[in-house]
Amino acid sequence: MALVTTFWDIVHLLTGTPLFLVAILGLTWGILGGALPGISASITMALVLPFTYTMDPAMAIALLACVYIGAEYGGSIPAILIRTPGTNSSAATVIDGYEMNRQGRAGEALGISLMSGVIGSLFGLLMLAMLTEPLSWLALAFKPTSYFALGILGLSVIASMGGDSLLKGLAAAVIGLMIATVGTDPISGVTRFTFGVPDLLSGIEPVVVMVGLFALTELMSQSGSTSVTQLGNSIRIRLPGWEMMRTLRRSQIIGCILGLFEGLTPGGGGSVAAFMSYNEARRWSKTPEKFGKGSEEGIAAPETANNTVASTALIPLLSFGIPSSNSTAVLLGGLLMHGLLPGPRLFEQNPQVIDSLYVGSLIAIIAQIGVGVIILPACVWMVNRPRPYRSGFIFALILSGLYTLNNSTFDLGLALALGLVGYFMRLARFPVLPMILGVVLGHMVESSYRRSLVLSGGDFHIFVEDPIAVGLLGAALLFVTFSLAREYREARRTKLQEAHQ
Amino acid sequence: MNRDLIAGAVLLAIAGAYYVSIGTIADSTLSDEVGAAGLPLALAGLLALIALVMMARAVLATRAARRAGGPVAAVEDDEEGDASVPRALGLLLIGAAYVVLLPYAGYVLSVALLIAAVAFYEGAARSWVIPAAAIGGAALYWAIFVKLLGVHQPAGILVQGWLS
Repeated sequence: MALVTTFWDIVHLLTGTPLFLVAILGLTWGILGGALPGISASITMALVLPFTYTMDPAMAIALLACVYIGAEYGGSIPAILIRTPGTNSSAATVIDGYEMNRQGRAGEALGISLMSGVIGSLFGLLMLAMLTEPLSWLALAFKPTSYFALGILGLSVIASMGGDSLLKGLAAAVIGLMIATVGTDPISGVTRFTFGVPDLLSGIEPVVVMVGLFALTELMSQSGSTSVTQLGNSIRIRLPGWEMMRTLRRSQIIGCILGLFEGLTPGGGGSVAAFMSYNEARRWSKTPEKFGKGSEEGIAAPETANNTVASTALIPLLSFGIPSSNSTAVLLGGLLMHGLLPGPRLFEQNPQVIDSLYVGSLIAIIAQIGVGVIILPACVWMVNRPRPYRSGFIFALILSGLYTLNNSTFDLGLALALGLVGYFMRLARFPVLPMILGVVLGHMVESSYRRSLVLSGGDFHIFVEDPIAVGLLGAALLFVTFSLAREYREARRTKLQEAHQ
Repeated sequence: MNRDLIAGAVLLAIAGAYYVSIGTIADSTLSDEVGAAGLPLALAGLLALIALVMMARAVLATRAARRAGGPVAAVEDDEEGDASVPRALGLLLIGAAYVVLLPYAGYVLSVALLIAAVAFYEGAARSWVIPAAAIGGAALYWAIFVKLLGVHQPAGILVQGWLS
């Protein structure tokens, strides 16, 4: 009888807490969204962002983190089954994953991807819990000048690493900052660029910008596409045994290490980590000749790496408020939407948010093994739906979700307009992340800049008197210079190749 | 004209329009040294500078490619991308129609029409599946948003009038 009571206590604890449900729902949505080709992890998160508006902040942030974890695994499903990565970071998984599928080992490939993802996520979460709070204390030494410099560094890094042209990245960042100036001035309280529209008085919400630039732009880009994807309905995941896990150990360690460093590096992201891990795993493998021909290690390394990044990318975000990728920019949007500012005060004033984030992520990572197996038929079913219906349902979901923000059709119109902007930016090969970051960081950059000058009585020397600000601005300048040098080198190489031909 | 030159011109126009709009920002006695117009002025100048550099680079790159007699494909238009523009704009128009219709037709009817219109526009075969998916989708979203999440969605002026 006592045993039964204890059992029901555990069941009640697990099912009675909303965090458990939030983690499972987030994970499930993440896997489903990530499995849909063209719907990246950031889009999957952006789609769910409006729903979190009315949620408890701790639950909202945990939900977004769990969606991110799920989407990183979900992206590998179409990568293995139809040679189309569901997310950018699963592109490296295509190489050996699809090859294994062709050899009739799709279930085995999915199992390796799932377990490697779990190992990478657990390692990433451990690093997140260990490193974030100590790093965030550094932020206590930050003055307004340092925060201004930090914002400039974040924008410079993302602008210089976001695309093929630094100028385009910078232009996008400036437009983002321009959007952030709409609304009420943070210092004097006068209105700017509102043109008499009451809906603009409180500014343009980053969520609307993210949904417009990520989700609507993607939907517009896919319009008219005739590509048909069909998966076999009989696929079942085969989880790897101990023997196989021992074989994969080396590539998983490589994935963990590179995932940690790439997560900490602004602009690094899961795709860079995945490709680097793939190359390193091949270099250190006992059987490098198997890579590209259906190597198990060729799946384990990139999947471990991109799942590690899903957690470690939160370290610079939670410590300093600098998102290093699209997905973490969405998460920052979620934090700001709930009035939560990253840094040490987040740990002091809102420990429940951090606790929920860690525990929710842990639940999602462990549950991923079961949910990943159970949900595969649903993923296959969703991917097999005709694209016209899929687009209709996604469009309706986007517009329905956005309306929940302010119960205003103005937000819907704004998001559609931003979708158009994002579509033309994509055509002209402008990266959208610097623009989103401009919107998200705009308030911090402007208010820190102006507070610094208020403190110094208008003397610009204040920026060179703060060693942290000097260091950060110097780093921003270095990133821009290196990016320019890289562009110059590439242009010269192309010219030489053309002359040679 | 190549794509970067057009992009530069558009950026310059944005910078110009933004600069003109700065004139609408009122002066405030609470203002600091920089003022509410300070950052916008700097941003307008910066964007104009970037646009001019981009345009200059595009012109120089095109000239260099032509002078060398080599391929200029890298700086010329992407015809495939341009061909898809009307389709993408059409999808956006459907979204705009939804926004206009929502307050009048209400959430359920508008969502049903949106799903049906997008499915039809994106090439779904004309069959009973389109209306079935539209009705099913509208019912599903109504259940999720209105019933489950308690979000107030417009009931629709026309629908309310018709019901009463």
